[in-house]
Amino acid sequence: MSPAGALGIAWSHVGGADCVRVSGLVLTATGADVQVRPAAASCEFPAMAGRLVPDGNDVCFVPRFPFVEGTSYAIVVAGGTAGVLTRPRPERLATTGVLTIYPTAAEVPRNLLRFYIWFSAPMSEGYAAEHVRLVGAADNHPMTGALLLTDSELWSADRRRLTVLLDPARIKRGLVGQRQVGYPFRRGAPFRVVVDDGFRDALGRPLRGAADRGYAVGADERRRVDPGAWTICAPPARTRQPLDVGFDRPLDHGLLARCLHVTGPDGQPVAGLRAPGPEERSWRLTPRQPWASGAHQLIVDPVLEDLAGNSVSRVFDRDLARPDDEPRQARPVGVTFNPSV
Amino acid sequence: MSEYGLRPGSAQVQSAGPITFGPAGILFLADNGSARVFAVDVADPGPAAGPEPFDLADVDVRIGSYLGCEADQVDIRDMAVHPESHNVYLSVQRGRGDAGKAVLVRIGVPDGTVSDVPLGEVLVAEAAIGDAPAEDDERQDITIPTGEQGEEVTYGGRTIRIMRRPIRTSTVTDMVYLDGDPGSLLVAGLSNEEFSSRLRRIPFPFGGGVTASSLEIFHVSHGKWETAAPIRTFVAYDGGDSILASYTCTPVVHFPLASLAPGTKAVGRTVAELGAMNQPLDMVSFADQGEEYLLVANTSHGLIKIAARDINGQAPLTTPREPVGVPRERKDLQGITRLANLNGGYVLALQADEEGRRQLRSLKTSSL
Repeated sequence: MSPAGALGIAWSHVGGADCVRVSGLVLTATGADVQVRPAAASCEFPAMAGRLVPDGNDVCFVPRFPFVEGTSYAIVVAGGTAGVLTRPRPERLATTGVLTIYPTAAEVPRNLLRFYIWFSAPMSEGYAAEHVRLVGAADNHPMTGALLLTDSELWSADRRRLTVLLDPARIKRGLVGQRQVGYPFRRGAPFRVVVDDGFRDALGRPLRGAADRGYAVGADERRRVDPGAWTICAPPARTRQPLDVGFDRPLDHGLLARCLHVTGPDGQPVAGLRAPGPEERSWRLTPRQPWASGAHQLIVDPVLEDLAGNSVSRVFDRDLARPDDEPRQARPVGVTFNPSV
Repeated sequence: MSEYGLRPGSAQVQSAGPITFGPAGILFLADNGSARVFAVDVADPGPAAGPEPFDLADVDVRIGSYLGCEADQVDIRDMAVHPESHNVYLSVQRGRGDAGKAVLVRIGVPDGTVSDVPLGEVLVAEAAIGDAPAEDDERQDITIPTGEQGEEVTYGGRTIRIMRRPIRTSTVTDMVYLDGDPGSLLVAGLSNEEFSSRLRRIPFPFGGGVTASSLEIFHVSHGKWETAAPIRTFVAYDGGDSILASYTCTPVVHFPLASLAPGTKAVGRTVAELGAMNQPLDMVSFADQGEEYLLVANTSHGLIKIAARDINGQAPLTTPREPVGVPRERKDLQGITRLANLNGGYVLALQADEEGRRQLRSLKTSSL
C-alpha cells in the first residue's frame, strides 16, 4: 500500500483488539508499510511490536503490548509521519488511601528496623523511594539516607501492604555505615513517617491524601524476644472467654499475625479469632469452642521479632562477648497455661 | 530440552525479577509476583559470537520504542548474556500497576536489534521458592478479580469469584547457577516480614514437590558482632567452590560453597565493606592473564575491583579501622547497575548517564 491523498488515522478496534486504523491507503504489490512508535522515540529506534490487519479498505495496527494511557504515538506510513495520536487518559477520582502505618506504638526503640504501610487498594510498584520518607517532628526536615529504599520493593502479593526497612547498615553495630553516619534516630528526638499523595495506586491514580504517623524514640532494644517474660491471663475452662497474652515490649505487626498459636490438652490447635492488641503489646485468642480443662500450650514461632529485629532465636546483631546471646535452635517455643477451673 | 524437564507451556511471569543462564541456553527467570522460578528455553537464534565488544546507546528508549511506551515505563531489572551468541537478555517490567507486564527482551549482538521471547509459548519448567506461606498462615488478602482468576465461593446462596493472595512474600534479589549433576540454582531473597539471610539451593533439573533446601548464613563484623542479613547480590568464583556475597548492610562476605549445607549454621568471612550510605547492585567475576577478579557495582562509588587471590588471603576483618578489608581498586565508572560477562575479553555493563539515560557498554577486562 502507499499513501494516496489524505490519510485517516484513528484509535479503533479490530477483532476485539485495540488498534490504530489507517484509512485512505492504496494497495501496492509490496504490501502495507505502516509503523507505530512512541512519539518521543525518533525513527532510528525500533518500531512498536505488532501486526497489520486488513479490515475492509483500511489497515489496522494491532500492538503486541497494549497502548499506554497518556502516551503519544507517531504513525509512520511509507517512511513519512502520517500523524500523532495520543492515547486518552480517563479522569479517575482518587479514592485510594493509607489505612494504617505500623508500628502503632507511640514510642519505638532507637534501633527500629521496619514499618508496614497498609493501603486501601492495590498499589503500583516503583513509587516508594520518592513518596515515603521520614522527617524530624520538630523541624519537618527530611531524614535522608534513613530508609533502605532499593529497587526491590517489598509488597504483599496483592500490593496492598508495603514493608519499608530502615537501612540496616546504620543500625548494626560495627558496620561502616553505623560508625560513620550513625543511627538514623536520636533518643528523645521524635520523628514522623510520611506517605505523600504522589504514591500511585494500581490504576495510576494518586492517593486521596497524604498520611503520616509520629513516633517518640526510646532506648535501643538488643534482647532476644523471650516468651517466658510474657504475662498469660488464663481464661476459665468451659467458657469462651479470650486468652490474653501481654508482651514485655511491642512486637512486629507482620510476624505477630502468624507466629502465635495455641494447642489444647489433646495437642490439637485451638481454633478461634486471633487478634493483636493495642501497640502490638498484646495478643488475644477468642476460641470458637469453650476451653477444655488441662494443660494448653502457647506455641511461639522462633522467627517472631520485636520492633528492632530481635527474634526468639537470635538477637539482631550479636555481641560475640555475650555467650547468652548465642543463636538458639530454630524450634518453636511452647509456654504452658491451664484454663482455671 | 526434555532431559532438563522442560515442556511446552507458558512462563506466566507477573513481576520481572533476576535472570541468569543455566545449561544448554536455558534461562532462569525469577517471578517476584508469584514466588516462582521459571527455567525457559530462549531458543536463541544467533550463531556463536566472537570476542568483539558491543555497545548500544539509549537502551531504554530503544526498548520502550519496541514495547510501545516511553523510557520511564521501562524498568530493567536484570541482564544476562547468552553464553554462545552473546545476545543480551534483559528482564524488563513494562509499565506499572495493573498495566505492568513482565517482558524478556533480547538485544541482538552485534546489530542491536530488539525483540522479545514470547513467554506464553516456550519450553518451560518451574519451581516454587521456599518462602511460600505456611499452611497454617491464614492471612490472605481476599479480592474480587476482574478476570477468570481465583476461585468460586458461595455466600448465602450467591456465588462469586474471589482471589486469595498471601501477605507474606519473598523477593528474589539474585540467582547463580552452578554446574553439576544435578546442577544447582542458588537463590538469595528478601522477605517482606522476617529479617533473614536465607540462601536457597534448588537442584536442576527441577524435581517435583519440594525442591529447595535453605539455610541461614551469618557474617561477623570486626570479630565482635555476628549478624544475619539479606544478601543483595552474589557471585560464584574459584571454579564454583567459593561464593562472594554482598549484603544490604554492605559487608562483602566470602563463603566456601561446601559450608552451605542445609541444617548447619554457616558463618561467612567478611573481607570488605562497601562504605556508608551505599548499596551493592551486582557482581561479576572475570579472568585476566590467568588471574580471577571480581567487580562490584554499587550505588555510591564507581565500580570496585577485587582480586580473588586477595580474598583467599584476607584474614577476617577484626579491627574497625579504615580502609578495611581486601585491597580493591575503585574504577571511575559511575552509574553502572548491572554487569555480565560478554566474552573472555569484555564485561558488559548497563550504565546510566547523569540524565538517567541507559546504555550498554563493554569494559575491556585487560584495561580494568
